Amino acid sequence: MNSAKPRASLQLRVGADIGGTFTDLVFLRSDGQYSVRKVSTTMDDFSKGIVDGLTAFLSDEELTPDFVSEIVHGTTIATNAILENKGVRTALVTTKGFRDVLEFRRLRFPDLFSLDYTPPKPLVPRRRRFGVDERMMHDGSIRRPLDETSLDCVLNDLEEAKPDAIAICLLHSYANPDHEQRVTEAVRDRFPDIYVSASIDVLPEIREYERTSTTVINSYIGPIVDSYLKSMRLRLDSENVRVPISIMQSNGGVMSYAAARRTPSRIIESGPAAGVVEAHQLSKRLGLKDVITFDMGGTTAKASLIEDGERNLTTEHEVGAGIQLSSRLVKGRGHALKLPVIDIAEVGAGGGSIVRIDPGGALRVGPESAGADPGPACYRQGGTDATVTDANVVLGYINPTAIAGGTVDVDLEAAREALDRSAAKQLGIDTTDAAYGVYAVANTTMIRAIKSVTTFRGRDPRDFTLMAFGGSGPVHAALIARSLGIRQIIVPGSPGVFSALGLLEALPEYGFSRTLIADPAQVSADVIIDAFDQLESSSLERLKDEALNEAITGSWSRTADLRYRGQAYELTVTADTGPNDDLLGMIVERFHQEHERTYGRRASDEPVDLITIRSTYRIDAERIVPESVNIPQEQQQPRQAYFGREQGWMLTPVITREELTRSFRSGPLIVEEYDSTTLIPPGTDARIDEQGNITMINTDLDANRD
Amino acid sequence: MINENTDPITFEVVRNGLDSLVDEMAITVMRTAYSGVVRDALDYSTAFCAADGQVIAQGLTIMLHLGSFPAAINSLLTKFEGRINVGDVFILNDPYTSGGMHLPDVYIIKPVFADKSLHGFVGVVAHQADMGGLVPGSNSTESVEIYQEGLRIPTLKLYDAGIPNEAIFDFIETNVRLPVQVRGDMRSQLAACDIGERAILDLITHYGAENLNGYYDALLDYSEQRARSEISALPDGVFEFEDFIDAENLEDGPVRIAVKLEIRGDEIFVDLDGSSPQVPAGINAPVPFTYAAVYGAIRLIMDPDIPNAAGYHRPIHISVPEGTVVNPVHPAPVAARGITGFRTMDAVLGALAQAIPDRVPADGEGGNTLISIGGQRTDGSQYALVDFFGGARGGGPTSDGAEGVSHPASNLANSPVEIMEVENPVVVDDYELIQDSGGAGKFRGAQSYVKQITNLGDAATLQLRSDKRKFPPYGLQGGSTGSPSLNILNPGADETLLPTLAQVRLERGGVIRHEMAGGGGWGDPLTRDPTAVLEDVLDGRVSINSAKTEYGVVISEPQNRLDQGATDLLRSTMLQQRESSNS
Repeated sequence: MNSAKPRASLQLRVGADIGGTFTDLVFLRSDGQYSVRKVSTTMDDFSKGIVDGLTAFLSDEELTPDFVSEIVHGTTIATNAILENKGVRTALVTTKGFRDVLEFRRLRFPDLFSLDYTPPKPLVPRRRRFGVDERMMHDGSIRRPLDETSLDCVLNDLEEAKPDAIAICLLHSYANPDHEQRVTEAVRDRFPDIYVSASIDVLPEIREYERTSTTVINSYIGPIVDSYLKSMRLRLDSENVRVPISIMQSNGGVMSYAAARRTPSRIIESGPAAGVVEAHQLSKRLGLKDVITFDMGGTTAKASLIEDGERNLTTEHEVGAGIQLSSRLVKGRGHALKLPVIDIAEVGAGGGSIVRIDPGGALRVGPESAGADPGPACYRQGGTDATVTDANVVLGYINPTAIAGGTVDVDLEAAREALDRSAAKQLGIDTTDAAYGVYAVANTTMIRAIKSVTTFRGRDPRDFTLMAFGGSGPVHAALIARSLGIRQIIVPGSPGVFSALGLLEALPEYGFSRTLIADPAQVSADVIIDAFDQLESSSLERLKDEALNEAITGSWSRTADLRYRGQAYELTVTADTGPNDDLLGMIVERFHQEHERTYGRRASDEPVDLITIRSTYRIDAERIVPESVNIPQEQQQPRQAYFGREQGWMLTPVITREELTRSFRSGPLIVEEYDSTTLIPPGTDARIDEQGNITMINTDLDANRD
Repeated sequence: MINENTDPITFEVVRNGLDSLVDEMAITVMRTAYSGVVRDALDYSTAFCAADGQVIAQGLTIMLHLGSFPAAINSLLTKFEGRINVGDVFILNDPYTSGGMHLPDVYIIKPVFADKSLHGFVGVVAHQADMGGLVPGSNSTESVEIYQEGLRIPTLKLYDAGIPNEAIFDFIETNVRLPVQVRGDMRSQLAACDIGERAILDLITHYGAENLNGYYDALLDYSEQRARSEISALPDGVFEFEDFIDAENLEDGPVRIAVKLEIRGDEIFVDLDGSSPQVPAGINAPVPFTYAAVYGAIRLIMDPDIPNAAGYHRPIHISVPEGTVVNPVHPAPVAARGITGFRTMDAVLGALAQAIPDRVPADGEGGNTLISIGGQRTDGSQYALVDFFGGARGGGPTSDGAEGVSHPASNLANSPVEIMEVENPVVVDDYELIQDSGGAGKFRGAQSYVKQITNLGDAATLQLRSDKRKFPPYGLQGGSTGSPSLNILNPGADETLLPTLAQVRLERGGVIRHEMAGGGGWGDPLTRDPTAVLEDVLDGRVSINSAKTEYGVVISEPQNRLDQGATDLLRSTMLQQRESSNS
């Protein structure tokens, strides 16, 4: 922006994505060039690995700390604290008579056929849940005023409970926050050093279990995230890296250090979000509006939707639920988090998924995984179970001697033996057929993830492009796409650091919401517009505290959640309008349209209710487009690869990404690179574009495309 | 090997495809339904059946719908033989003429054709918010014959070759209290059928209709084989159990459910002979529903991974005498038959507990209590609040009974209190666990909870369907019974104890308080880990007094510390007393 500064062209933005084994660091220069460092994740203090990696890079490149302009961070620290029950000792204050709401949840259980189902332990045990005597009504009127004596009792109980964090959530506080505010002030006064969150700050929305649970999550992880970020700040300061730290949120925007400390519940799904953000940015550059992102790793595969140029969000997430299919039928495995999270469907199928024959003689793949340790049999690191990767090696898709630039040895015989043992013998078929079967069955499981974000929501996958990344995604992408009738597949450059790049492309944004139940047929538009205005002005006050300096500018966008009167679920539609537009008429019509698109029907004559309004502040920021880097690869010999009974074994050229041309070349082909292998089967053509992405076209779909 | 003519890979692919399609149908219904019973109790299911009516895949959301489709499809196959055409859609709800379960459960079934030949059926059965009859919600326990229970729909063509029969829609909308909701839910069922049909047609395009039929057979055989191998691992023998429904409003007293269960080789024979004759109250369970309860109980002790294809019914033989509460004949009323399904399932589990004591938990709260309050808002519009209470499971062989987790028969969700208060003129004032309500045991039963609702509107009709007061949840292997349920009208000086099944007027300002039954305990309470008792005391689940009298655990006050020495002493004294009173 300011060309007078000579250093502008040399500034670095740093993306740090923490994984289970490695932390990916990406250093993006203002000219778009970037470098990658993988450092071991330091489990005892994640910030150590990041800061050490950063300082090592700076010294290797002979750069001083003031070349760094920002650090953007994706972290699983919040999720892990919940998964491992390692949050802080938390207490909860509720309306008297409702302290067990957190424990009753919604009563529903996810394991339909289990007699000994045990629900997840509440994050706050009953002995630290206290009721205060008061009662608000849904219209904001007071049924019972706040009883100060009872509040004093609760404060004494809290004192005795010795919590490290406190959550406060009173009934109907979204409709009238007075009581909750009063309780929160009293608690803060009495316990100035304890982390406190109130539901009206975290999630002022209707539904007491979900609001309580989200507020409790916020407090439970609050001090952990807080001290983690503080420690990173201190480490950076001690290295003279005095730059802003931003954190990736679950919704795909980044937020400031201060905001993350206040609402850490917004960074829960920080990790998976970054990959979708990068896919979104790349889609924009490619001019693609409708994309299915497909990220297949070692244990799971994840799918998400970019539709009409926008990412899809959900507010029905559960933390600690294990693998979750988006919009899963039966919930209850985890803790409800009702904040917007990128809607990602996940299935238990990855490179490490284990192959077995079930008691009825059917071939099954996953969800059990050999993970990175002991890993697939062919890596010979202790794994003996056959996995999807073993099948891919037997089929000739994955290099049968070594991968990752020769750093990981692959043993074809070990893969064959494992497949014989785990599947081929029991099924009475040969190793190759068993391997192809594993490949096909794994594909159907992953197809289910994609269906759950498309056809389950009334979307036709044939209208989308598939964007495949993650270590194993590009091996499976073409045939998965073919089964779904998807014609075009994109495999971006550097699929291995794709998520870390997403951190650097994400924009700062801050979401706010408020329940406002209204009948659009009765209420005046001014009431709704005033409510939006109020939400935005009070939120901006808060943002000034924690995120913005005077120089930063941004803009608001509005959405609203509506439903047909009597339904249990809302749909979100945009509420942005021009000054002379009929706001209510427009949101109601958009709701009818969205309902029809999602569920195949609209009911124009039925009453619609507005439930929640949402405003998102997006900060104006320019982002440098990363230019892909190529790691030189050795020339490979063609090898035999198997493509099912009809086509059998075919001699398949193995090439590098650079060897692909701008004009299409027909499969079979295998593109091998440092961190991924792309399979282009017969019936699929591939080429490379100017930005280094592989484009595949399933040409065999063209003949019978309707 | 699964089947000689099928290949194991395609088998798994087809199976995944079918599971995915019935789930997709189920999600469509759940997210678009209006009826609280559908969206909160998940009281609906979706299915794909072969052309002969056998269930190939079921999108199961509620256990008590297992095996509920064949009777309905048989009725349409019989009635419309040779007249089933492309574009038809069938509707039914009547248990006596058409294979239905009770009137609120409306089936919508669509045949799927491969070219011009009938390939199978997709269907959705969903509990409608109202079907007319005595009370809002159509779940009266007071009717004495089915004619009082609402609109009976025999098997009819709702669509004839693609043309909707408006007369049927009109009839239904005219006869129900909540026509907008009912129409909305029927539409959501229709939408789900269309989605299911499309997915089946896709499979036909990929694999061919004939070929697919082979895989359907393979899936049936596979589920049968899995069930047989599970059953043959159970000990042979005959196991009997009986359980009762309080039914205080009936002259003939409690209703008996008698179960004789025989395990022989790889088959199970269940005989319900000895169960009470049908009663003049809406708790008779039509036989498809009874079958579902029996299948459900047996299903619970099998590997959850067995697919919901009808093959697994084959080794299970059920005999239910006609004219009983578990197989009523016309015109017995059936509206509130859910309670009988719950009790049948609990009784079958009680019998199984004798065969495999190390796998079956004690009795829970007995399935959900149902409270409906129906009346008029001040603006004259009708409302029908339907609220479920459930979630106090019995202690089991390895863990305490889960609290706030629904009965396995019916995976209901509660309605958020805040939403309930927005939608209905009521306020909820108490919603908490009840101390000491769970039966003591090595693994104790769940503590139950209370909910208290006040009517803020004009006088309304209150309908209560509850149970487990005279016959509270049973304990097993030495565990104690749970506390009985209570229905209290206007708690305080002038309170009235209502029967377990009741229909009364709830005045403006009137209050209904329901205390659910607590779960039964499993195993001897004196063998419970004293630190677990201490944890319960610290959480207020168990009182210090009960810790002492039920568990022989001494907690010293006020620090709430476990007194191990005093506990050992007390426990040995209690054991001696127990022995001397036994001798």
